[in-house]
Amino acid sequence: MEALQAAFRDLIDGFRLAPLWLTLGWEQTAARFRRTVLGPFWLTANLLAMAFALSFIFGELFGNGNWRANFALIISGILCWSITGGFLADAANAFISAGDLMNTMRLPLTFHVLLMMYKNVINFLAQLIALWVVLLVLRLGAVPDISFIFGLAIVLINGVFLSIIVAMPATRFRDVYQSVAFAVQILFFLTPVFWAPAQMQGKRSIILTLNPFAHLLELIRQPLLGRTPLLVHWEWGIGLMVVLGATAITMLTLYRKRVVFWL
Amino acid sequence: MSCSIRLDGVTLDYFIYSVKAQSLRNAVFNLAVGGNLYKSQGDVTVVRALENVSLDMQEGDRLALVGHNGSGKTSLLKVIAGIYEPQKGLVEIKGKLTSMIAHGAGLDMEASGLQNIRKLGAMRMLSKKVIESRIDSIVEFSELGDFVRLPVKTYSSGMMARLMFACATEFEADILVLDEWLGAGDASFFQKASDRMQGFVDKAQMVVIGTHNFGLVERVCNKVIELSAGRVVFYGSTKDWAAWRNR
Repeated sequence: MEALQAAFRDLIDGFRLAPLWLTLGWEQTAARFRRTVLGPFWLTANLLAMAFALSFIFGELFGNGNWRANFALIISGILCWSITGGFLADAANAFISAGDLMNTMRLPLTFHVLLMMYKNVINFLAQLIALWVVLLVLRLGAVPDISFIFGLAIVLINGVFLSIIVAMPATRFRDVYQSVAFAVQILFFLTPVFWAPAQMQGKRSIILTLNPFAHLLELIRQPLLGRTPLLVHWEWGIGLMVVLGATAITMLTLYRKRVVFWL
Repeated sequence: MSCSIRLDGVTLDYFIYSVKAQSLRNAVFNLAVGGNLYKSQGDVTVVRALENVSLDMQEGDRLALVGHNGSGKTSLLKVIAGIYEPQKGLVEIKGKLTSMIAHGAGLDMEASGLQNIRKLGAMRMLSKKVIESRIDSIVEFSELGDFVRLPVKTYSSGMMARLMFACATEFEADILVLDEWLGAGDASFFQKASDRMQGFVDKAQMVVIGTHNFGLVERVCNKVIELSAGRVVFYGSTKDWAAWRNR
């Protein structure tokens, strides 16, 4: 019972330390690009190169031969994937990379997860601006739907819970990090990041209906393209929050004290 | 604000995981053959770092932890700092605690001394205004001069110790937890640092310090805990400790 209370306190204290992870996250992002010429625009360049390459190839493969047809879908898909699934490799490493800090001062486990998540959000928002600029220039832009805010909130909360769930075993068993990095790659293809859900017909459409990441992705991508997400995506998003939240709390209750010894 | 530290019957075990035990394959395969093999074959070594440690500190107390290498000083400091939560026993800390346990811990080696002062201040949740108002006195106390504008990676370990100690004491904390690294400073800094810690009595602050330097213990601390193999072999005032040692 006491351990359960401590698990909730860990979560709440993590959020209460917001001023600290906001400062640190910003500083560490700045430090990451110290002494580079392009700075954070390296991320933008990466996004653009990937989106153009995929649009170019798949425009041809999918028969219409026109890279513009799916460009907005693909570039927003890649960007939204970074915050729905792409961050998971980072998440698995959250405690291991914070090892020095964890051995220096007392901080809730949730703090390290939120710090990692916030750095991913900074990258996401920076590229989001670039995305709008590019879409405007190409005259492919749409006015984002207001539901983007709620979709993003659901995606981020799920991300925090999922990170806790992944980061704890990854600290104990070092194989987990490797397998997460590998799984993220597979999921990238199984999720409609660079293909349209409508292109998946027949039996294989099960990877759409039962893939939680597909639903989370649509919760933020659809509003970005100016559409409202379907009801089923909201249902999955909220349902996942409950399931992942309960799992994360259970894991914190059972293993929270031990993580620092696993480092 | 009143502050106190109370530990009662604290027992801390370390679990040392070998490469074998850290592999998932091992855990899964052992699970497949019945599960309990995992415990016997798992290659997890348990080290008892602290056994049944109790202590009590009030305002103005300055406690020294002494003992051989590996006797449990740093483990006990980490328990007091809240980094390790013991498997058994009670830990009760009242007051704002600042811990500086490892040498160079919390410093960003690429950033300059000034940036690090701001960072350490931010880590203590101080406002920008408060931090800026302390920078001058930190630079003055640490005697780093123009070096504060250089990256910390260019510092000697004594200079890092100066910077860390100056930050730890200038950013007000009720309880200060320090380890061995203080010894990296030179004689004049050592004098300055111990004078400053003696001043803690007046401000009702507390210090817990792990050290091998008996001169520092006798000059600064009023209480001593001597540890041996994770157990308390002496706990009392510095005067009694000196007598106990010479017995």
